[in-house]
Amino acid sequence: MKNEHDHTSTKKFGMVINLDLCTGCGSCMVACMSENNVPFKEDESDKLRSITWMKVYKLTNKRPFPETDICYLPRPCQHCEGHDGHSPCVSVCPATATDYDMNTGIVSQIYTRCFGCRYCMGACPYHARYFNWFDPVWPEGMEKYLNPNVSPRMRGIVEKCSFCYHRYQAAKDKAHLEGRKEIEEGEYQTACTQACPAGAITFGDLNNPDHAVYSLKKDPHAFRLLEKLGTNPKVYYVSSKEWVRKAGDNYLENERPAWK
Amino acid sequence: MKIDRRCFLSLGVGAGAGIALSPLPWKITDDLSIWTQNWSWTPVPATGEFTTVNTICTLCPGGCGISVKKVDNRAIKIEGMTDHPVNGGGICSLGLSGLQLLYGPTRIKTPLKRTGERGSGQWTALSWDQAIAEVAEKLNAIRTSGSPQSVACISGATSPTVSRLIDRFMAAYGSPNSLSVPTFIDSYRAALQLMHGVAANPGFDLEHAGYILSFGSGLLDGWGSPVRTFKANSGWKKSKVKLVQIEPRLSRTAAKADVWITINPGTESDLAMGIAHVIIKESLFKADFVQNYASNFNEQFRKLILDNFSPETVSKTTGVDSASIIMIAREFAKAKNPLAVCGRGQGNIPGGMNEFLAVHALNALVGAINREGGIWAVADMPVSDWPAVQQDSTATTGSRRPRLDNAGTQAFPVAMSLLNQFSSALISGKPYPVQALLMVESNPVFTLADSESTRNALNKIPFIVSFSSFMDDSAALSDLILPNHVYLERMEDVASAAGFNRPLIGLCQPVVTPGLDTRHVGDAVILLAQALGGAIADAFPWDSFENCLEETLGDQLETLKEKSFVVDEGFQPDSWATAFHTPSQKFEFIPTALASKKPFAPINPEGDASAFPVILLPYDTMRISSGFIGNPPFLTKTIEDTVLKGTHSLIEINPKTAQTFGLKEGNMAMLQTPKGQAPVQVHIDDGIMPGVIALPRGLGHVAYDSYLAGKGVNINRLIGSVPDPVSGLDAAWGIRAKLSKA
Amino acid sequence: MSTFNHADSSVSDTEETQSGEGSGGVVFLFFLIGLAASLIVGWVVFPKLLYSQKHQPVDFNHVLHNELVSEGCESCHFFREDGTFSGAPKLAQCIECHEDVQGESEEERKFVEEYVKKEIEVPWLIYARQPDCVFFSHAAHVKTGKMDCVTCHGEMGESTTLRVYESNRITGYSRDIWGHNIAGFKRNTWDRMKMDDCAECHQQKKEMLGSVQTQKEGCFVCHK
Repeated sequence: MKNEHDHTSTKKFGMVINLDLCTGCGSCMVACMSENNVPFKEDESDKLRSITWMKVYKLTNKRPFPETDICYLPRPCQHCEGHDGHSPCVSVCPATATDYDMNTGIVSQIYTRCFGCRYCMGACPYHARYFNWFDPVWPEGMEKYLNPNVSPRMRGIVEKCSFCYHRYQAAKDKAHLEGRKEIEEGEYQTACTQACPAGAITFGDLNNPDHAVYSLKKDPHAFRLLEKLGTNPKVYYVSSKEWVRKAGDNYLENERPAWK
Repeated sequence: MKIDRRCFLSLGVGAGAGIALSPLPWKITDDLSIWTQNWSWTPVPATGEFTTVNTICTLCPGGCGISVKKVDNRAIKIEGMTDHPVNGGGICSLGLSGLQLLYGPTRIKTPLKRTGERGSGQWTALSWDQAIAEVAEKLNAIRTSGSPQSVACISGATSPTVSRLIDRFMAAYGSPNSLSVPTFIDSYRAALQLMHGVAANPGFDLEHAGYILSFGSGLLDGWGSPVRTFKANSGWKKSKVKLVQIEPRLSRTAAKADVWITINPGTESDLAMGIAHVIIKESLFKADFVQNYASNFNEQFRKLILDNFSPETVSKTTGVDSASIIMIAREFAKAKNPLAVCGRGQGNIPGGMNEFLAVHALNALVGAINREGGIWAVADMPVSDWPAVQQDSTATTGSRRPRLDNAGTQAFPVAMSLLNQFSSALISGKPYPVQALLMVESNPVFTLADSESTRNALNKIPFIVSFSSFMDDSAALSDLILPNHVYLERMEDVASAAGFNRPLIGLCQPVVTPGLDTRHVGDAVILLAQALGGAIADAFPWDSFENCLEETLGDQLETLKEKSFVVDEGFQPDSWATAFHTPSQKFEFIPTALASKKPFAPINPEGDASAFPVILLPYDTMRISSGFIGNPPFLTKTIEDTVLKGTHSLIEINPKTAQTFGLKEGNMAMLQTPKGQAPVQVHIDDGIMPGVIALPRGLGHVAYDSYLAGKGVNINRLIGSVPDPVSGLDAAWGIRAKLSKA
Repeated sequence: MSTFNHADSSVSDTEETQSGEGSGGVVFLFFLIGLAASLIVGWVVFPKLLYSQKHQPVDFNHVLHNELVSEGCESCHFFREDGTFSGAPKLAQCIECHEDVQGESEEERKFVEEYVKKEIEVPWLIYARQPDCVFFSHAAHVKTGKMDCVTCHGEMGESTTLRVYESNRITGYSRDIWGHNIAGFKRNTWDRMKMDDCAECHQQKKEMLGSVQTQKEGCFVCHK
């Protein structure tokens, strides 16, 4: 499959997350859950069955007290581009339920299309995809806070972070009404970016030199998760700590990192 | 003509062909596939007009501005208010979960009266008229019997006007026992009272600080106004401002700090004194301030420090090597705009005055008081006058009786309210028993130290009324519940944000119209006063709380309704020449009032070291709300499985300590302290000092809903209150403990 | 045993021969009966069973209202400032004129008494309602794409009365989505509103085709 596109004229939405600023507070997780109608159960301590589109991981340097160090790492869907949009999950989906859009760089997930085979979950190296083992249940009255711009999911399907695509749609709606072709950087921001009290997340078009992410991703301390797999993700991380950068790429002990 | 089998077969074939030639199979297939995508039980949220309402979040003392998104009359999302001076668009995970409190199953829907045993959860619904009449009848009877002092009130109200209204009610009724829920701000207020001689709140100019020395403050774990502190920290990182965290545990703050100093728990004030020693000995202090604006420096403070707190001596008690002490002292004193802060974790426990006085003395040494990037005394906002309460004779006699919590007595003259000493008075019944208790926005059964004895103490009170919006642990123990609106339905003023350095007032505005049979607690108090009649009713000339608020805030209310906050942008703290109103009219390193006491003596943890070999520390995290507000489901969902697994709390323990107890990762163990015991699961973590173990605050609720109740251990069951010898406030920072394999 | 068997088979042989003369016709007749009956079931009875008929809570005359307003459809079906489309009007808009009964229509009287006075929103049945998984931007189509309302909604504005709303008993969708013709045939652009009908236009916009899976437009363009 070949897409005849001039990639420079298309958008490539992505994120740069500054791990030096991230405090691991979890605001991004809750902002995401409340924006995207993510359900909850009575017991969410089994993390394999806990749906968190945005999840904050805790990394440690595995040194004994008092040389121990911790770094928190928020992990949304990495919206991998792979090569020519063949991200790991898109390549394996037999139902065309997940797709890569060359115009935005966003990996979509259409819930009504998905039939729950979970190949994509096996293919995703970031654990960014979650399966609905149960029908979501909101206690009586709580369904009032559900966001009409995001459709609630049902049992038996896979869901994941969409980079709050509905916010892009809403921003474009306004632009259409005002006769504009383009939207401003600030008009489309993900819920996690907006909520982060530390300002650690920056979101924008990685192709657009006017957007903050364009230059931030070139930080000498920037890296991506499991870069060597060739997933070509669109979420960049910045950390001044070398052990964090090494952990992010999952290098084995004594293995020479790519940037050296 | 005979009809045989073949005819029927033919009929069937014909029918099949006909069906195939009709749209039926294709249409049914299409419809069935659609049917499987639209289960009737999967909700379809209705769309409509999107609007935004600005208000103030009151779930913690952080005072953040929030913008609530609505679709028609439904609130669908809470976001940070972008132009609010405290949080500027950011928002914490608790604030984001607020709609789960508004629409959640833990709300109390109507006034309730207990029908079964206390705490059995059997209630019957009442009308508001009935409920008010019942409370009024009881309170009238107590008053007629001549002991109005035996009615007490515990309030954690975030609205200054609601607090005033409650105090006024208690005064008019005739009881001195109006108690509030203290935090580290109360300890700072006591320090400012003693050292500056002013009644003021501490304001931290975090944004301009050039070097931060934190004595166990959870700057990134919810201390003060969390979002503001997070933003300030991001500013520090960008401009290379050094953050030094002094703490025995690798908290989030310690992890993000530039330097993590591991210290023996409870010796923080000693370290502050050791740092002061280096600063004084090397003459690194702000000479101008010390010589011209401070008293008793040379003769008392300098001598005390130089005689007792050399780095070598301090090194032995604190476990911090003397080279580090000297290095930090020099860096701190030489930095532009240095700032030292204290108040452990989120500051929910007021803490020992030894720390507050020592840390404030450090700030004074480097001239960080009322200066850019330092700590400011922000005087209380002037309030509009209400006509004085005309007490009748019963009220006059009642309110002259001593307070049950010893606040303001000779022993603790600085304290306004000492909630931590209240339950012992309840248990002893001396000097008089309590016959009725009112609880407003507080959950003492859960949040007070030694929660089992608090529960027993409360059980001795014959009549308990809760004004809680939620079925919290204390409301579940009460006899009558008069449910308040939740903050997103209320109109009330909000005091400034904790630790904010400019005068600020906020307005909490209704985002949605109240959907349940609840009433604002201010209205409930006014109704109650009117039902009691006489001088009590006369003290409340307002027909509603809103009316009271209008009169109290005056012209300011219109601005507040429009902007949600009013801030004095150009505020400058008093200059050194005019700032101090102590007996010496100067800054007092050793307050005159404490001349005979040992203000810097450390607070020891409860328990015998031989029986309880390790120290249990409570810790705070942004993912668990430990105050009056219980965790909403979203917040609980973010708790790591190294903190809570199923219904088990995990105890953080160093591998070396675990080895001495023979414990391995995931083992169940029995945690024992002098106050009680609880089963916990072991989580081995290198980020905690050997000999110290830690549990989070805020778990172990017995009430609320099935998303929260029964999860984990309430650490307050295991820790007792240790009254500070100076302030009388709770100074317990931990307790001795032991673990055994279960 | 064997005797009985023999007799039995000989009887049936005889019968077969006797009826054999006309049997081809009878069998064919049955075939035709089956065919005809099932065609009737498939084309006539099935659609009747599949859809339930619902009447709108209040009747509405588009023609009459159109004469009284200045900006055509957009007078009542307008865009909000944020770019969202208001759809069927809310009571708040109707009240601007209908605080009290204006004319002599029985339906208007019902509307004012049952809804306006009681401040209850009218539960209009929306013919063109798409399922929850669909995101449709009116702004993109009407403002940027310069499409007319008629292209999708037909001559709704020319109606003097609201037709019966037909609801699919299996899916709960409005019949307008599949189209009135049970076979899905359409003559006008507004006769059907299934995904393929959207795709008809969307596939023509070459510069918008970004999907790696389908070579068409990205799924998120129309789905949520």
